[in-house]
Amino acid sequence: MYRYDTLDHTLVAERVAQFRDQTQRFLAGQLSEDEFKPLRLRNGLYIQTHAPMLRVAVPYGLLSTRQVRMLAHLARKYDRGYGHFTTRQNIQYNWPKLEEVPDMLADLATVEMHAIQTSGNCIRNTTADHFAGIAPDEIDDPRPYCEIIRQWSTLHPEFNYLPRKFKIAVTGSPADRAASQVHDIGLHLLRGPDGQIGFEVLVGGGLGRTPIIGKVIRDFLPREHLLSYLEAVLRVYNRAGRRDNIYKARIKILVKAMGEEAFRAAVEQEWALIRDTALLLDVVEIDRMRKYFRPLPYEKLPDIDVTAGREAAFVAWYRHNTRVHKVSGYRAVMVSLKTPGIAPGDMTAEQMDGLADLADLISSGEVRSTHDQNLVLGDVRQQDLYETWQRLTALGLATANIGTLADMICCPGLDFCSLANASSISIAHQITERFSDIDYLYDLGPLEIKMSGCMNACGHHHVGHIGILGVDKHGEEWYQITIGGSASGDSSLGEVIGPSVAKLEVANTLAALLDVYVSIREEDETFLQVVRRVGVTPFRERVYAPNR
Amino acid sequence: MRQIVKHRQCQADAWSMPGEAAAAAGVVVSLADYLAVQAGTLASPAPAGAALGVQLEPADDEAQLLPFAAQLQLVVVNFPKSAEGRGYTQGRMLRERYGYCGELRAAGAVLLDQVFLLARCGFDAFDMAPSENLTLAATELDRFSVAYQTVVGTVVQPHRRGQVG
Repeated sequence: MYRYDTLDHTLVAERVAQFRDQTQRFLAGQLSEDEFKPLRLRNGLYIQTHAPMLRVAVPYGLLSTRQVRMLAHLARKYDRGYGHFTTRQNIQYNWPKLEEVPDMLADLATVEMHAIQTSGNCIRNTTADHFAGIAPDEIDDPRPYCEIIRQWSTLHPEFNYLPRKFKIAVTGSPADRAASQVHDIGLHLLRGPDGQIGFEVLVGGGLGRTPIIGKVIRDFLPREHLLSYLEAVLRVYNRAGRRDNIYKARIKILVKAMGEEAFRAAVEQEWALIRDTALLLDVVEIDRMRKYFRPLPYEKLPDIDVTAGREAAFVAWYRHNTRVHKVSGYRAVMVSLKTPGIAPGDMTAEQMDGLADLADLISSGEVRSTHDQNLVLGDVRQQDLYETWQRLTALGLATANIGTLADMICCPGLDFCSLANASSISIAHQITERFSDIDYLYDLGPLEIKMSGCMNACGHHHVGHIGILGVDKHGEEWYQITIGGSASGDSSLGEVIGPSVAKLEVANTLAALLDVYVSIREEDETFLQVVRRVGVTPFRERVYAPNR
Repeated sequence: MRQIVKHRQCQADAWSMPGEAAAAAGVVVSLADYLAVQAGTLASPAPAGAALGVQLEPADDEAQLLPFAAQLQLVVVNFPKSAEGRGYTQGRMLRERYGYCGELRAAGAVLLDQVFLLARCGFDAFDMAPSENLTLAATELDRFSVAYQTVVGTVVQPHRRGQVG
């Protein structure tokens, strides 16, 4: 993985000193609440319902075990013993003390981590495929480009006061595992006409109040032009994006208002002026970055049958929680943070330490975070899978539910977030209680439930196969249900099935939807495929039937 | 007299801003007025011997100043709110694209914690928000000793480091 050099260390240390100074000025009364707000947000610090919340950047979801142990240390020393992984592959702490946040940042700096631009109207943490570098279908590893983007976007002098937040995702595989089509910019690595590496560039995707799938504005961008093209997009947006209404300020609204063609023309015009400046990436630099992400010295191992003679629980875990690896004899292991009864994405300090030990012992000394709030051990020898399962089970991290209904994405909701209209964690609990029969979940097949406590859509509800959105109705928590959304290669936005349902009815409503699915599916059809085939109507009729 | 930070020093401002009585040293007018004076359709409000400067608002297109970049001595970029970000682009373009070498001043709701990034976009003078301490603002210009981006003649860019180191 990337290692800091003197420049990176110096910059992060100076950023910690700057934030310490800003915090002291606020605590001394020299900065008002309003003046401090944009400063703390640029360092990932929110003031939430109960306490400040600190969001720590996990660049493109990659962590060393040393970093994981530091995250555990922070949870113990400054929080209540746990952290929460987010849909931006970051980690949040919900209970720090404001005056201690500078110390947390100083601790993070010792392991090459920070909270720079994890919030605020600036370029946020760049996300990537959590199987980067190990996916068999990968065209090129996205992480070197993500690191190049991370550095370019960090404290970018021109783009720190954008109209609104700005999110970039990069994927290196045709299968989109980074929800790149619902990002402000989505970059897809591909090979151009002469076999050279470059990007398909999507702009203007996003969720929130106005969900939109991103538009392709360039079919092929040679990789050496990555930064100049990004800079051109950002400059057009910084100049022309709306600043009068925060709900109309994302780049998706600008692309829609200008029209795709006019927006593309504006970007191309700007790009022509800067494409051959210092922003041009040369092969030497790209190769230097690629060296940080070199493949491991894998052993030559055959694929083996690891399930023969093993107990059913292991077989189920193997089937649902491990994934194919590009090197024979290896598997990628999904670490489930979706234990029933625990808030999705939450992890205790003990689990973090235990997982770090396991990753050192049995994998590559790295842990990856996913945008659906799980973790990954990327390089496990198949012969070690049984032991891995045993150890993960002991840590409470082996629930065999990845990809099932129980593997929900969920924002913190009303329990923690001051923006939320309704709770989401309690709904997650209601659903896991109702659907506790794991064999039923296996029978339902791949099913993505995504849940947000308000229309800011941190839980990506628009792109859930089943989406759940918390709304406030006369002071009560109600939930609007959508079906048919997807964030994969064939992205689509879900359709609302009808009027929102009462809090206690959410799991019952899901049960009705799933009954319809089970009764009309053909052969191996998934829930999403059935919705796409038959539309919303049969589901709507069942849910809102007068005698249900 | 108005105090500003200019070339890292706190000093009195010799110019008058739009709406103020014309100063002997120089008078700043809006972009529309500046262009009208240049086109000969408006008499210059500057007293004899005084220079004429221009103030850009966030929606103004700084490219219109290209023909006058060599003769201008002061361009003021107004930030009506501290969250306003268009001025960062205006400043950078004036310096990098249009070759403007005169004083580039950020004015309005300019806060202490913004002068470092503004300076990286080419600003060399700051007419700060009334709440701000000018001496502290001057020291903020040294907040970071390194940066990742090559802009307006500062530090090495990371993707060049491979060759340099």
